[in-house]
Amino acid sequence: MKKPSLLLAVAALAIGMSCSSSVEQPTQTGTPTPSVTKTPDADDVIDEQLMIALGQAKNFHYKAKVYMTDGKVTEAIAAVRQILSLRFPANAPEADDVRNDARALLGRLLLSQNQLDEAMRVVEEGLAAVTRESFFVANLYTVKGEIHYARASAAGSGDAKSIEDKRAAIEALDKSIKINEALQKQLERP
Amino acid sequence: MKTDDDDFLTGAVPDPDAEPTAAELAHAKAFADLVDKTLVSGRMPPAMSTDDRALLEVATVIRATHGGLPLAPSKQHSVVEEALRLAIGGGNAATSLAGAPVIPIKRRWLPWAVASTTSLVAAAAIVLLVIRKPPVQVQPNVPTASIPLEWKSRPTDALIGRISSECSGPAIECAKQATVSTSARIDTIFSDRLAGYRDRRFGGKR
Repeated sequence: MKKPSLLLAVAALAIGMSCSSSVEQPTQTGTPTPSVTKTPDADDVIDEQLMIALGQAKNFHYKAKVYMTDGKVTEAIAAVRQILSLRFPANAPEADDVRNDARALLGRLLLSQNQLDEAMRVVEEGLAAVTRESFFVANLYTVKGEIHYARASAAGSGDAKSIEDKRAAIEALDKSIKINEALQKQLERP
Repeated sequence: MKTDDDDFLTGAVPDPDAEPTAAELAHAKAFADLVDKTLVSGRMPPAMSTDDRALLEVATVIRATHGGLPLAPSKQHSVVEEALRLAIGGGNAATSLAGAPVIPIKRRWLPWAVASTTSLVAAAAIVLLVIRKPPVQVQPNVPTASIPLEWKSRPTDALIGRISSECSGPAIECAKQATVSTSARIDTIFSDRLAGYRDRRFGGKR
């Protein structure tokens, strides 16, 4: 019985190869022919995963807002931090925007608690991961400038570190202004 | 040499109602013992009279016809084999292949026929696959289904605009304001994308 089984297996394989080769015929240029009935790519459209992640981010922001009405900054910080752990669809532009916005808020909350180093770390991490410029990135630079200014104020005027931080603050704020202006121009184009 | 058996067999036939004589009883007992021994051992004694041998063979046959004699294992096996061979349509009953399963000819060629047919089809498919040239076809530029902008995942800059962070109060108040404004932004993003998602999933065809 082994030989007929082997023959059947070879036959099935050959038929399968023949059929699969006819599914997508390459053109002369070697690129697959796009199907007329092609549906939108899953990466392009707003899907359930994106909506779930946005909904979660909305809830965490709301929690932080409620905590802040009672002056519970630590709890608000914890709520905002959770936004950074949300799973968005890969390459969703909304994910970058929401995360950068959360980092900017987190930086300001930490700044209010005088946790300047941690605030700077959160902001720098966000800027290091930037793939495109946006109003949210500009806002991150603004927060960076605010943190530098807070450091300069803490160091005292005339101190070398204070001077350095003030210069860095101006630099960060200039960067923010540049990004905002460039984006504003882009949006105003017909 | 003349024996008692000779007298017993060649003498006058006794009356049916006559009482058996002592000699007859002794002879019957001796013969019964002989039959018992033969049936138990399965072998006849090497030396015995011709008449006793004839009677003993008759007794053995009578016993066998009543089903009391078990067959030897080899004989049982061959009988079962023959019966099975006949049941499944085997040929010559005289050719015994003990232990080997007998498959009818009709069933033997069927898988080979199926395999051969499919192999031929497969071979034809392979040949077709090898010799077929890719068709030269000029593909018109068929645009993919266009996706409305509001269905797409995209940057939110146009929706949110420039982010203002003006705050002149103490740091804690600025943080509070930032919390409120950031929450408002995510609300705006969520609402906009939800509208797009609903339109894509439940709206009309584009």
